[in-house]
Amino acid sequence: MVANPILYIALPLFTAFLVPLLAKLWKPLVRIVPGLVLAYLAIMSIVLMQQVGPDKPIITMIAGWKAPWGINLVFTSFSGFIASLISILAFFIWLYSFKFKKVEFDDAQKYFILFMLLTAGSIGVVLTGDIFNMFVFVEITSLSAYALTAFYKGRDGAEAAFKFLLIGAFSSIMLLLGISILYAYTGTLNMAQLAMLMPQVPMKAKVVSFLLFFVALGIEAEMFPLNGWAPDAYSQAPGPIAASFAGILAKAGIYALIRVSYTIFDLGNDGGFDLLLVMGLITMVVSELVAMRQENLRRMLAYSSMGQMGLIMIAFGLGTKEGIYAGLFIMFNHAVIKSLLFLASAYLVYYTSRKKISDLDGFGKLLPVTSLLFGLGAFAIVGLPPFSGFWSKLSLLVATADSHMEFVLATILAVSVIEIIYYFRVLGRLYFRKANKEIKVRKPTWNSTVSMIVLAIVIIGVGLHPDFITGLLHNAAADLADKAGYIQKIIPDLFSQTLN
Amino acid sequence: MRKLVILSLLLVLGYFLLNTFAGAEFGKDRKVLANYYLEKSPSELQVANTVTAIVVNFRGFDTLGEVTVLFLAATGMGTILLRRRSKHTGLNPMRTSPEASKIVQAAGKLLFPAIMILGAYVFIHGHLTPGGGFQGGAIIATGFLLLLISYRQFKVEHKYVTWIESLAGLTFVSIGLLGIVLGPHNSFLENFLNVGTLNELTSGGVIALVYIAVGFKVAAELTGILDTLVNIRETGDID
Repeated sequence: MVANPILYIALPLFTAFLVPLLAKLWKPLVRIVPGLVLAYLAIMSIVLMQQVGPDKPIITMIAGWKAPWGINLVFTSFSGFIASLISILAFFIWLYSFKFKKVEFDDAQKYFILFMLLTAGSIGVVLTGDIFNMFVFVEITSLSAYALTAFYKGRDGAEAAFKFLLIGAFSSIMLLLGISILYAYTGTLNMAQLAMLMPQVPMKAKVVSFLLFFVALGIEAEMFPLNGWAPDAYSQAPGPIAASFAGILAKAGIYALIRVSYTIFDLGNDGGFDLLLVMGLITMVVSELVAMRQENLRRMLAYSSMGQMGLIMIAFGLGTKEGIYAGLFIMFNHAVIKSLLFLASAYLVYYTSRKKISDLDGFGKLLPVTSLLFGLGAFAIVGLPPFSGFWSKLSLLVATADSHMEFVLATILAVSVIEIIYYFRVLGRLYFRKANKEIKVRKPTWNSTVSMIVLAIVIIGVGLHPDFITGLLHNAAADLADKAGYIQKIIPDLFSQTLN
Repeated sequence: MRKLVILSLLLVLGYFLLNTFAGAEFGKDRKVLANYYLEKSPSELQVANTVTAIVVNFRGFDTLGEVTVLFLAATGMGTILLRRRSKHTGLNPMRTSPEASKIVQAAGKLLFPAIMILGAYVFIHGHLTPGGGFQGGAIIATGFLLLLISYRQFKVEHKYVTWIESLAGLTFVSIGLLGIVLGPHNSFLENFLNVGTLNELTSGGVIALVYIAVGFKVAAELTGILDTLVNIRETGDID
């Protein structure tokens, strides 16, 4: 098997251009071929994760030019972990959705093209070693996300997509300005070389460009108050797309934010981490409070998702190795659990356009498997043992305690209670209310059920035996914390020149 | 009041940006990337137009990304724009202007082939003279725009647009993948053909081929976007 990180980008692009031609050959190919490609990438991730080690990242040249002259892809324990997570999750989201029949053929074709490009763009953001290339991939990711938000061609969908597009365009401009400041002061776009040259950049330019990056990537990572696009986009997009916003898009956004703040800018101890911590705290508290008041199931999940993103920012904002570890663990759990919740909720609200929580009475009997999986996801996301969410929340609490941030610790605990209230409110309706007689339900197809059950098995498996994942997380955390190592492995010649 | 707050925030942002950019010395020789490109582009790639060498070879991966962004814009356009079209006349209500005059129509017909040739010239000679795939493609699209505004009944066949778009995109990615197999460093988008002699049409190896593919793709996509904008086909919810 050919395992080369470039295939993460090249294969989906190739397929996206190929799909319109396949449609003319035999229509089912449009649904099947993207799945085969995603399956290949998922298996490739496993192969590559076995090859990569703490001291041997996989660095792929593009166009035959070594860094910093050309663009390169950097597959390390950290970036590789996130890329693998995205590619494997993308395969299961495809498995969930490949048979869906709600739309006409032309639209189904667009759906698969856009979904492939969303995945490829997100993996590109994670793997690239070049800051401008990251911008290009952020563009690919966001453009596919706008189009997918408006997928059901309703007025609400178009409005949500337009809002998303405006905020996203603003984000792109900020990102481009930030990049051009860095280029103007250093003359390079390679992330490792930027990190190396950063001490030469005057403090003022550094702060301005860091803030531009922070705002731009904060929009992608759903940071408050820049997340106005998220509730609408999450509630209007098709169910599997909402799952991939939480599991794929937001993960790429937070990765970029973390990579930029940890590796490129040297502002960690000059307030960069504190900014991340404070913004994370505000994001978490506000989102969870708003989530409690939502009537719409999808919007509730969207706000809960933002709350989790806040939690991740807090973890990385601690700036310690334990904090990074906890942040990565929450990223993993959030990707898996929130995807399961969105996928299950798509069937719970299949026939209601308003997606109201109060319409869910008695679904526990009507849709036993889906409701059970939703309940399992809810238990896991609030952090109850024996599910995987428990371990990640615990590791975050330990990390905050180690950093002597008692206030943060207390806030996280208090917010967890809010989380429990609003998730259990939904569960109460599912299981302890009588069903409305005339209600129409849609039974999940076999492939969606399989996909959801696999995610549930991951949640229980990691919950019962966290050692499955902790080794990978420790490697990834060590890799992110080792900035000098990152520079040295990517541009060894230039690195040794500066030492002499 | 709200506008005043927004305005003052924008002023603060503008001040800091201006201040930061004023501090950067543009054009200063930093000996990092620029010199390397200026030196390597004629010597190793035999490409006279350094900008093209950077866009298609050194940073060809970005160009592939940008081509994809354009592809997405063309694909997503139809989903984001609400479809409006009158049920009675079958025409877009926004397009109520009268038919263009005979002079415009005749001139349009006359100019169209010339514009096509200019566009093709620009992208075929991308590695020798200023311009390239994006510029050439945009020129070709203006030719179609001319026909779209002169003849109301002119329609672009979406079937052909899709074919050209897909085949051009596949060519670009395939050239990239061939680089992994045939290139000296086995890397994506790498040149694997003979680079030829500087200033000749056959110089630059795969660069010219990539730019021709980009030219076709950009032309097809921009034409498709223009056609979507002026001629929305589906019946919508406006009567």
